[in-house]
Amino acid sequence: MASKAKTAQHLARALFRASLVGGALSEERVGGVIAYIEKARPANPLWVLRAYHRLVANEVAKGVAVVEHAGAVGEATLASIAGAMAKKYSRPVRAVPRDEPSLVAGIRVRIGDDVYESSIAGQLEALSGAA
Amino acid sequence: MSTALEQIEQEIAKLSNKAVKKNTGTIRAVADGVAKLDGLSDVMYNEMVQFPGGAIGIALNLEEDEVGCVVLGDISKLKEGDEVTTTGRLLSVPVGKALLGRTVDALGSPIDGKGPIDSKETFPVEKIAPGIIVRKSVTQPLFTGIMAIDSMIPIGRGQRELIIGDRGTGKTAIAIDTIINQAKINKVGLASGDKTFRPVYSIYVAVGQKQSNIVRTMSALEAAGALEFTIIVAAAAADNPANQYLAPYSGAAMGEWFMENGMDALIVYDDLSKHAVAYRQISLILKRPSGREAYPGDVFYLHSRLLERAARLDGKGSLTALPIIETLAGDVSAYIPTNVISITDGQIFLETDLFNQGIRPAVSVGLSVSRVGSAAQIKATKQVGGKLKGELAQFRELAAFAQFGSDLDAKTKAQLDRGGRIVELFKQPAFSPLPIELQVAVLFAMQKGFFDNVDLKRVVDAANSLKSYMTTRKDALLTEIRTKAALDKDLEAKLQAACDEWKPTLAA
Repeated sequence: MASKAKTAQHLARALFRASLVGGALSEERVGGVIAYIEKARPANPLWVLRAYHRLVANEVAKGVAVVEHAGAVGEATLASIAGAMAKKYSRPVRAVPRDEPSLVAGIRVRIGDDVYESSIAGQLEALSGAA
Repeated sequence: MSTALEQIEQEIAKLSNKAVKKNTGTIRAVADGVAKLDGLSDVMYNEMVQFPGGAIGIALNLEEDEVGCVVLGDISKLKEGDEVTTTGRLLSVPVGKALLGRTVDALGSPIDGKGPIDSKETFPVEKIAPGIIVRKSVTQPLFTGIMAIDSMIPIGRGQRELIIGDRGTGKTAIAIDTIINQAKINKVGLASGDKTFRPVYSIYVAVGQKQSNIVRTMSALEAAGALEFTIIVAAAAADNPANQYLAPYSGAAMGEWFMENGMDALIVYDDLSKHAVAYRQISLILKRPSGREAYPGDVFYLHSRLLERAARLDGKGSLTALPIIETLAGDVSAYIPTNVISITDGQIFLETDLFNQGIRPAVSVGLSVSRVGSAAQIKATKQVGGKLKGELAQFRELAAFAQFGSDLDAKTKAQLDRGGRIVELFKQPAFSPLPIELQVAVLFAMQKGFFDNVDLKRVVDAANSLKSYMTTRKDALLTEIRTKAALDKDLEAKLQAACDEWKPTLAA
């Protein structure tokens, strides 16, 4: 069981590496990988696809800055966040707004597995943690 | 001026509104105290990670797209998809004198119901051991209060001496005796007002033990008045393996605080066999490759990095380690015992046969050794007990012939007779360590032949009688032995006279 999962994981990683062109995800290559899995039917294709999906989803998330906000956020703000993130991560980044009233005020930006916290809720949480 | 102030205020406002960056991940699976996490791309090895609900974890496996992490705390509330964040900190535990007299868990939180611990400092649980430049040779004795050990297998401050033996052979009793003896010495030393006196603080780390045993140890220490100089770190058998894995390192961090602040400390790891088993469990769940007896490849490093932290530092204090290893059927050549034997500076081997024969502590003189040797012994002990180990070794060799007693020559008979008396003399009940000056007095009496005409079965009673006589009537002489730490001609004459005075009382 464990070795099957590991084999599937290894294959998924190899397929993921094959899906990158110059360090960026290529939609064409992803299509090719799916076609390969359908045709070649590797052992445990479901596990391979799930692992592959996770890797691709993580990669896609690195190019999307989810801007969680309480209250209105203008287009200009979103554009400036996208620009700042693109500069920081040296890759094209798209900003996607998401209304999150639990933040009370301020914004929280999620990109990949990084979170930039600038909300009242985050500061209150930090304060409660420090106490 | 007001413009300058405004500028500063704007700068402060800018900083306080600055976004805080966190690196996050999500739980993919949780089982047996170990969590598999997605994300956490910035996490460092051994970094503390924060789980929801206050539980914390330590990142132990950093893989390409997955992080393996041990969870410390309640895992029952964690579920797949929960968010986990890095903290940028290594796991630290509270340290300092505020912990003395307290029982804490592997994270340094009190578990004895005596309220919170007012500790101002923390030390990282994992720390690189002191290097060779800052170390100093082990030359100062650390008295265990056990005559067989102090006279033949002396332990020094900063040494690592392994206590090894089968289950139920008195390993823990030796460690507890040593802790009690330190407390007794501390009390005498602190009461004397001697400014050069250096007390020894003790840390007892219980790994994978029954809760009832831990309570028994606490009670024994409390009854002997040793708890006020002792910290107990408990990771009982019911605790999750992550806590059992961490407890010795937490104890070492607490001991290092004393060492770094110019004090001396003693740490007992009871026991490292169970510690290795806990680590094996974690490693298997983390799917690390397993080697001999299913232990992971770094099980040697697990113990070497822990025991290397015991040292005597130049210009600072010392940390003495007494690790305990439980053997199966006396097999010292098993994997974990051989590892720890090679790491430590000697071992006290306890034999089941000796224990069952009523020789307690059941120290096997032949297999026990202290690599520091007599460097960590006071001169008085060397003077009265320097040849004891050789004599006992000869006795063991000749003991096989004891059954043919009538055919033996007079010299061999005398050697056997003397060896038998030494064995009897070294019998000592648990939790009653002997002060070094009293040990010197008893060994002096033995060397001068005061026990030679005592019936073998009455040697223990005779020794007790001498101890009682010396304590009640010759207190000044004992104090002189303790302070001088060597027997000059004058002191020898006084000891001889005291023994001469005592002998008739024994006959009566």
